[in-house]
Amino acid sequence: MIFLWEGLAEAARLLWTGDARTYHAVLVSLSCTTAAVSLAALLAVPYGAWLGLYSSTPYRRVQVFTLRVAMSVPTVVLGLLVFAFLSRRGLLGELDLLYTRTAIIVGEFLLAFPLLGSLVYGATARVEARVVETALTLGARRGQALVKVLGEVRPALVAAMLAAFGRCVTELGIAITVGGNLPLHTRTLASTAQLELSRGRFAAALAPGFLLLVLAAGATMLASWPERNSRP
Amino acid sequence: MLRRNLMLALALALAGCSTFSPDNPPRVRLATTTSTYNSGLLQELLPPFEESTGIRVQVLAVGTGQALALGERGEVDLVLVHARRREDEFIKQGHGMERRDMMWNDFVILGPPQDPAGLRGGKDAPAALARLKDKRARFVSRADDSGTHIRELALWEEAGGVPVGETFYLEAGQGMGNCLTLADEKEAYILADRGTYVAFSSHLDLEVMVEGDPALRNPYGVMLINPRRHPHVQFAAARKLLDYFTSAAVQRRIEEFRVAGEALFHPAAQMSP
Repeated sequence: MIFLWEGLAEAARLLWTGDARTYHAVLVSLSCTTAAVSLAALLAVPYGAWLGLYSSTPYRRVQVFTLRVAMSVPTVVLGLLVFAFLSRRGLLGELDLLYTRTAIIVGEFLLAFPLLGSLVYGATARVEARVVETALTLGARRGQALVKVLGEVRPALVAAMLAAFGRCVTELGIAITVGGNLPLHTRTLASTAQLELSRGRFAAALAPGFLLLVLAAGATMLASWPERNSRP
Repeated sequence: MLRRNLMLALALALAGCSTFSPDNPPRVRLATTTSTYNSGLLQELLPPFEESTGIRVQVLAVGTGQALALGERGEVDLVLVHARRREDEFIKQGHGMERRDMMWNDFVILGPPQDPAGLRGGKDAPAALARLKDKRARFVSRADDSGTHIRELALWEEAGGVPVGETFYLEAGQGMGNCLTLADEKEAYILADRGTYVAFSSHLDLEVMVEGDPALRNPYGVMLINPRRHPHVQFAAARKLLDYFTSAAVQRRIEEFRVAGEALFHPAAQMSP
């Protein structure tokens, strides 16, 4: 039990003393997750909204089904999938991307995409068809109608982005399988925790957990900021 | 408009990624077992090498099975593992070459303080396991294809067979640390490398029951990946690291390495008395 307190103290100490490995891991976690979630959002948000709003999309139900199933792929399997392509024997082996942050970003992109896609689909599918039709009859193009609806469901969008952020920033399978857990290179907060646990240093394993909480709080505050401003 | 922004964002993101990983200085990748890394030994041995040669060493700390698999695929330039029979196979199949003994450490059989099977003070590991089977005392197996697991199986074979499927034989399928915690909670016996045990001992009630059997010695071998099989390996740089590991100075440093006041590794030169 006592190592719970020690963990908190250790987290404070690492931050206070400017521990290079800790700050680097924070940076890797943040940058990889932000890049992966942003890229995934760029594609998955319009895609999910398209599926949600336009029931005439061909094979719509198959696509939704695939998105939902893909949400349950374990991160280790996603990691192995990326590994298969980036490995020196893989299709993209020439790029020498295995054990780099880019590899982590690719894996986390695959993790975030189905989650964002299906959450956005869920949010937009409930928007009444009338909203779209009205926008269209008022002369809006399909893309414009989509932007309008996305504005309507903004809280759900924020929640989806935060869910994707949380899933990516805490995941372990991808970071270890294609990141390699290399210190000052691809080691994330989550893989730091895993390593310290396997070393028997329980307090040191908890410290990254507390730092992750701080990151999550920061992301949540950042995400809900525009919401608060727009709704007095 | 929307499409152009999208392409721009993608291009920016990709550009950001590529500036992320500058691989300018020569870089050697070493796949090794968690025991060498987690004990802190490599963190002590590698910095002087990196400084004097300018070669950067990236360490992938995985299980012996995964380390050899990464070597077989040419993902790494050299491997440092402990599973002699697998290593010989690896060489015979042409994946690796120039295997050298680097050091050894030892395994211990741990058990709960109450010692229900009465193993305390034993010197004969297979006999102790046979006794466990006899008393049907709980035993936690790594069951993860690691070097430690391979050794476990060999010892059980000597003790008259692996009790797979028996209720007292728990297959954990996890790393050494997690298995130690599991064995501690379940009041079970377990085979562990001394290094991980020392690192975890303050969290555990488990005590050393059997030690000192030559069958519990655990030799570590280091070898290069065959450049004829994988032309892209950093062969010259990897050989420098191999020479460094087996040099007299580093062998001495291995001998002097301590964790919590205990010597964990012994130079390979001591292998044959």
